[in-house]
Amino acid sequence: MNARTALLRQELARRPLLCDGATGTQLQLLGLAPGACGELWAVDHPERLQQVHQAYLSAGADLLTTNTFGGTAGVLGPHGAGGRVRELNAAAARLARRIAGERAWVLGDVGPFGGMLEPLGESLPDDVAAAFREQITALLEGGADAILVETMSDPAEAVLAVAAAKACGAALVFVTFTFQQSPRGYRTMLGTSAAEALAAVLAAGADVVGANCGTALSLADYERLTAELVAAAHGHPVIVQPNAGSPKLVDGKICYDESAAQFAEAAPRFLAAGARIVGGCCGSTPAHIAAMAKLVRG
Amino acid sequence: MSLLTDLSIAVAAGKRPDTIRLTQELLAGGTSPQDVVEQGLVPGMAVVGEQFRRNEIFVPEMLVAARAMKEALKLLEPLLAQAGIKPKYTVVIGTVQGDLHDIGKNLVSMMWKGANFAVVDLGTNVSAERYLAAAREHNAHLVGLSALLTTTMPAMKETVRLLKAANLPNVKIMVGGAPITQAFADEIGADGYSADAGSAVSTALRLMGEAA
Ligand code: B1M
Repeated sequence: MNARTALLRQELARRPLLCDGATGTQLQLLGLAPGACGELWAVDHPERLQQVHQAYLSAGADLLTTNTFGGTAGVLGPHGAGGRVRELNAAAARLARRIAGERAWVLGDVGPFGGMLEPLGESLPDDVAAAFREQITALLEGGADAILVETMSDPAEAVLAVAAAKACGAALVFVTFTFQQSPRGYRTMLGTSAAEALAAVLAAGADVVGANCGTALSLADYERLTAELVAAAHGHPVIVQPNAGSPKLVDGKICYDESAAQFAEAAPRFLAAGARIVGGCCGSTPAHIAAMAKLVRG
Repeated sequence: MSLLTDLSIAVAAGKRPDTIRLTQELLAGGTSPQDVVEQGLVPGMAVVGEQFRRNEIFVPEMLVAARAMKEALKLLEPLLAQAGIKPKYTVVIGTVQGDLHDIGKNLVSMMWKGANFAVVDLGTNVSAERYLAAAREHNAHLVGLSALLTTTMPAMKETVRLLKAANLPNVKIMVGGAPITQAFADEIGADGYSADAGSAVSTALRLMGEAA
């Protein structure tokens, strides 16, 4: 483990950390067309991506997430960039690393591979594992301090990603799942509970576990979910990154209804419920994270 | 309980072998392929759709049920063709540009096949231009657009605009997907909207001037 990653581990034990907020919705504000490939911006518009990272750093984020959510070959493929996994992921990690300097850590972001594993879908575990390894190798090469496997629904897929991260030499692996309500409690879209999801990835060697995004989850839902996650994490640090409300189309513009102040007010409650890292997902902005920083750091 | 009810239950539970067996038994007993679809398969999928909306079941159960229905349709489609029942309508369907969700779109597509439409499925991430080209090429009566993301609703709007601007005679446009509402459909000038796959058939027939 390099010194910076070792320090991250120590800090995690010492104080609550603040993660950044949404990247995708920020890039859309800077002109990324809905449906277009944001991962290309690491190379095509590095200055705009830099602006987003810089804004989160200035807001007080301890952890910056690379702009590589859709950075596996299968997700880049439909954008004609399936052969550019290494280039795009390494460039994105380098860029985030440069902004973070010694003031923040860089989480190399790994999102869902874009399909479903068999038997539900047609994807084979070996192929998916190879795709994750290709991406993670590049993220680490670019200077990511840890790997964040995020927005997972299928524990089997998350386990493949964690194993890939370990195989590539990542010293610290974060995993977040995305939940919705159900009559039986919070579940992923595959019906997996927080306890089942965390058990699977902890067994695979995940270090930090939690939740991000979600379907129609309020901040109050997230507070209850945090308690469930903490109970299921068996002492591992828990990270929570809710959405700033649900997206709505108002006059052709996409809006999220949770204001920075409302959003930030929930952060101390997440920490009280046992979370160690708080941040934001879809719709959250540097203003949301700055407001959180005030309340979390006092 | 009738065999049709059994079939509904088998589809809803995603039991493929039972679905196939019951479909065969019903056909052997003289039930028409249309009745098998409309009174057996469709009500089964309606139950699944309702449970999914209430978050009582999840994506795997939904997919398994859809697969059982697909198997049954494989048996039924050649029979519909053999009976000389030519598809009366040609429909083009796809998920709009930027959107890769296809589970709902596939269900609608299956329902339309079950209603004996000739279905041209363009898949996901379909540009406005591709819808238009396909509508022209296949002389479609109906173009169906599906969108699951708030961020791709503008692409749906753009597709409707392009299709309308092309002024194709007799082509109706129908839209659907979880974030889509009747109000949004009206706002963007779509001819029809349906909230679920079950009603997608009756809405389509209504648009084509048939009392469904
Ligand atoms: C033509 O006429 C018609 C008529 C009726 C029509 C019609 C057309 N089309 C549909 N209908 C109607 O009939 C169908 C049957 O009754 C119905 O179809 P539906 O499609 O509504 O219903 C289906 C039968 C079942 N529903 C579904 O299949 C959607 C389920 C959920 C869980 C979902 C899934 C499965 C997936 N996803 Co996505 N996903 C979610 C969904 C959350 C949820 N629990 O609902 C949703 C839709 N996803 C979302 C998001 C954000 C995303 N997803 C993404 C990816 C995926 C998967 C690949 C993992 C997977 C898709 C697999 C696939 N092959 O389709 C990403 C986008 C990828 C892309 N570019 O499209 C990603 C951006 C996540 C991410 N950060 O990567 C959210 C959208 C939020 C919003 N409103 O914008 C979401 C609500 C979850 C959430 N986080 O809140 C009706 O709407």
